[in-house]
Amino acid sequence: MIEVKAVSKSFGEVKAVKEVTFTAPDHQVTALLGANGAGKTTTLRMIYALITPQTGEILIDGVNPKEHPEKARKLLGVLPDTRGLYKRLTARENIEYFGKLHGMSDIDIKNRTASLVEDLRMQEFIDRKTDGFSQGQRVKVAIARALVHDPQNIILDEPTNGLDVMSTRGVRRFLEKEKQRGKCILFSSHVMQEVAAVSDEILIVSDGTIAARGTEQSLMELTKATNLEDAFVHIVTNGEGHE
Amino acid sequence: MNKQIITVMLKEIKDNMRDKKSLMSSVIMGAVFMPVMFVAMMNFMVSMQKDKAEKQLEMAIQGSANAVSFISHIKTQGVKIKEFNGNPTLAIENKDEEAVVVIPENFAEKFEAGVPAKIEVYYDATAKGTTNMTQQRIKSLIKTYGTTIGMTRLQLRGISPSLLNAVVVEEHDVSTTQSKGAMLLSFLPYALILGLFIGSMYLAIDTTAGEKERNSLEALLLNPIKRSHLLTGKLFATMTFGLITMVVTLVTFKLVMPFMPLKELGMTVNLGFKNIGILVLVLGPLAIMAASLQTIIATFSKSFKEAQTYVGLLMLIPGIPSFALMFLPLKEKLWMMLIPILSQNLIINQIMRGEEVRATAIIAAIIGSLLVGLLLALLAIKLYNRESLLFSD
Repeated sequence: MIEVKAVSKSFGEVKAVKEVTFTAPDHQVTALLGANGAGKTTTLRMIYALITPQTGEILIDGVNPKEHPEKARKLLGVLPDTRGLYKRLTARENIEYFGKLHGMSDIDIKNRTASLVEDLRMQEFIDRKTDGFSQGQRVKVAIARALVHDPQNIILDEPTNGLDVMSTRGVRRFLEKEKQRGKCILFSSHVMQEVAAVSDEILIVSDGTIAARGTEQSLMELTKATNLEDAFVHIVTNGEGHE
Repeated sequence: MNKQIITVMLKEIKDNMRDKKSLMSSVIMGAVFMPVMFVAMMNFMVSMQKDKAEKQLEMAIQGSANAVSFISHIKTQGVKIKEFNGNPTLAIENKDEEAVVVIPENFAEKFEAGVPAKIEVYYDATAKGTTNMTQQRIKSLIKTYGTTIGMTRLQLRGISPSLLNAVVVEEHDVSTTQSKGAMLLSFLPYALILGLFIGSMYLAIDTTAGEKERNSLEALLLNPIKRSHLLTGKLFATMTFGLITMVVTLVTFKLVMPFMPLKELGMTVNLGFKNIGILVLVLGPLAIMAASLQTIIATFSKSFKEAQTYVGLLMLIPGIPSFALMFLPLKEKLWMMLIPILSQNLIINQIMRGEEVRATAIIAAIIGSLLVGLLLALLAIKLYNRESLLFSD
């Protein structure tokens, strides 16, 4: 479970995140939906302790990442928005490296990699050097290495960005399975379709704040819209409807 | 040592061992190319000096019939006469001849009359190397001949030729091929230190600016590892490459030693196991300094290319003491041995001169370099801990 309480962050004059509060519980997919630059990535980066919030508090299964960054990261599996791999290493070696950094034993890494290869369907390229991988293959390896330690909490920043239909479906299927296993999944996206397809709760992020929250259904009822996109536009423009 | 540090170090070594470019640029360039270059340069220099001293002089002469006694005189000096017909200026411009001597038709006439008889020498003063030596030897031969004849004439008139020499200059040129060779050898410290810098350069860049450029840094930082441990692992990998390159450089030098014209230079350089051991001991601690300095610069750089430029410029720094010592001979003091790079220079020079290196000097050199290296490593780690590390671009 991830708890975010009144968290803010400014970069110089710019207030990127303002007093944001929300909870992403276990057994659920929570989505941060917002336009580019709305503050999604900054919020996520504060959760995984890459940047320190100026106010507020974050708890990951009760652990504050500001005070115990290493301990918090053990509870988290993160796919950041930059997902470069080591090109001279094979996909398996990329995953092993992160597993070792998590302090896992060789046997554990081997078993976990086998199950990730199965779930993400990476059999064909798992022992190839990652140089020249397709976007879809790269994201799969990046997800696998982020989740090699089988964390309870999973954060994904724009996971299906730039993926084709088949790869997107593969990632969605994987997330669905992880949810069934009781994981807390928090992801950010600007793609309405995707958010509507996979999330149990939607948080609409606009201008550094959470403008609205609810299920797809409740957000549409709230704004009297017939689809999520119209609801989203209605919320971020304060009911004016157009940009 | 911390297990995570070892994990990072082994990964960086494995990753870079697979990169032919980094292996080429460090080991091949630093460790093999440099010593071989060095030997080639030394041999070239020695053979050029030999040429000057020993090669038979060949003189292209036009109108040799006009000065029979001159010709027979220079023949006794071991000069080979080559008859020349044509345009002397053109022959030199076309590099057919290095110098041409022209004896005018009225030479004998003037010579017998006792008035200055002219011999023309054509040459190119801007020419380099052996050409320049040839013309100098020709002119000095002619001058010696003229002086000898002049003296004979004075003697015939009952005047002592020594009256002409009111003042004599006695030259004592103590420069020898040996001291010139020694000057070249004083470049050796730089070659060895440079090997170390070249060896660690590629990894310093690849593990920091490279990690950023290939967008793998953020994911890496998300692992439960302290940044100080992360960078320590990277520094160890970088140092390992520097040390490997240094040892390979030393071995290469040892292997090419027999091909150095040391005997011709009258030098005996003892690169035995003891001296190699001393070199490894005093150069080793420099690896920490080189790796840390390069890592600091690469961490600050926005891109791989920018890092390459700055880290490349850094390599000129270890050259400063080497060049300074070439021109400013320094009396070694113990405190100088505490200064990194300078101490290595001094100790390598001592070995080259065949002197015994004192234990105190070795210890001082190790302590000084280690201390500076560790301070720089701490600074590198401190810089790596900044929040802005990810966003500097």
